[in-house]
Amino acid sequence: MDALWIAKTGLDAQQTRMSMVSNNLANVNTMGFKRDRAVFEDLLYQNISQTGAATSEDTQDPSGLNVGTGVRIVATEKNFLQGTIVETGNPLDVLVEGRGFFQILLPDGGQAYTRNGSFKIDSDGRVVTANGYELQPALSIPDGVESVTVAADGTVQAKLPGQTDLATLGSIQIADFINPAGLQPRGQNLYLESAASGTPQLGTPGLDGLGSLVQGSLEGSNVNVVEELVNMIQTQRAYEMNSKAIATGDQMLQYLNNNL
Amino acid sequence: MDKMIYVAMTGARATLKAQSVVSHNVANVSTTGFRALQHTLQSAPIPGSGFQSRINTVGRADSWNANTGALINTGRELDVAIQGDGWLAVQTEDGGEAYTRAGNLRVTAAGMLETATGHLVLGNGGPISLPAYQKIEFGKDGQISIVPQGQKPDTIAQVDRLKLVNPPSADLVSAGSGLFRTTDGDALADPNVRLNSGQLEESNVNPAQALVEMIEISRHYEAQIRAMHTAEENDQAASRLMRVSG
Repeated sequence: MDALWIAKTGLDAQQTRMSMVSNNLANVNTMGFKRDRAVFEDLLYQNISQTGAATSEDTQDPSGLNVGTGVRIVATEKNFLQGTIVETGNPLDVLVEGRGFFQILLPDGGQAYTRNGSFKIDSDGRVVTANGYELQPALSIPDGVESVTVAADGTVQAKLPGQTDLATLGSIQIADFINPAGLQPRGQNLYLESAASGTPQLGTPGLDGLGSLVQGSLEGSNVNVVEELVNMIQTQRAYEMNSKAIATGDQMLQYLNNNL
Repeated sequence: MDKMIYVAMTGARATLKAQSVVSHNVANVSTTGFRALQHTLQSAPIPGSGFQSRINTVGRADSWNANTGALINTGRELDVAIQGDGWLAVQTEDGGEAYTRAGNLRVTAAGMLETATGHLVLGNGGPISLPAYQKIEFGKDGQISIVPQGQKPDTIAQVDRLKLVNPPSADLVSAGSGLFRTTDGDALADPNVRLNSGQLEESNVNPAQALVEMIEISRHYEAQIRAMHTAEENDQAASRLMRVSG
């Protein structure tokens, strides 16, 4: 009884979409979060009778019988639209305005990428993410600095006590990918390079199409709450409709069993 | 036994298949660019001697609804939706050509433009390869322009043009994964097809219609079962007549 199984594929797909909507809504306040979208595709068609098959030497069957087998979620797509800009005034909050990712060193020595520029200083003076992972290229801020400035091109300068000139501490480089949507999300706002994303192109912020840096601001989540709520309603109704299809298929079989 | 039960059986079998078609449409109510399948029933008389009462039912379903689905705004620069009639040409796994209305495109690591199902999008001369870019725009007629990486916004490069076609819908057969194939050779590019960027086309399944069809098929099916039941009763009555009483 394939009508039941076909409707089941619909339920599965809508369930997955609902998880995606929930995840987007849960991350509405996550800095640098990029929303996901489910991509649906129709499954293969069973060709039960072929269109155009000869019914005699001179005539053709004008229509065949092709029954589809349902739907599946073929991919999830991250949408890398710029999120809202949130001004925080914190000198170590840095925003990438445009394309590009901060490079982060993972504890296992691997490289990760993030759009969340809310940095902190650890006990050794190193600039790290909220999870304590170090920013690359490594940057450390000496004890007792009076102020830190991050320029649009990534140059980091500090005013040391008793000096009038600013000391250059280093510079932040960002990485870009030809297909950011192909990056592997790792959680903790981090992404990993994948075969689909291409290799990272390192560069100076503001040059070669990379975004420039803005100090004292963060990038908010790019989840659109209204859109997600509409998606949620649509998903729920589609789910109900598929369960209706299962109920109808079930009734038909029940009728057959009870009446013959 | 009377042939009536077989006639009713073909009716029940065809309605069951029709229910699968409706289930498939309902399952794809959220599939971008999906085209609802239509099912029809045909009579297939079996010629023979005597009164022609054996008219069986054969299910048909390969035509699809050519209505345009609703366009929704996504704002994503790689989303395109065809306005009105027309199709995007893509390359299938075997190197052939197929057509789709699902315009959620993406760029591979090698810079190739492909659909979300992983089929390369065709341009004027085969698959479209994009150089590194900062910004990409699709024109109404499918013309792709980019701002190359590291250039000022006033440096616009024309890359290629999406192959947009408009073959008669009777020539197209659905092949799964949102793809349709032509039955008679590749379609030619049609300069009159228009597309909107930043939009996607929803499935054209009409949920209300699908639910009504589901109820109708269900009742139709019950009628067939009823006929089979009657055939059984007739048969029982006939065998009762034959029984020698006593």
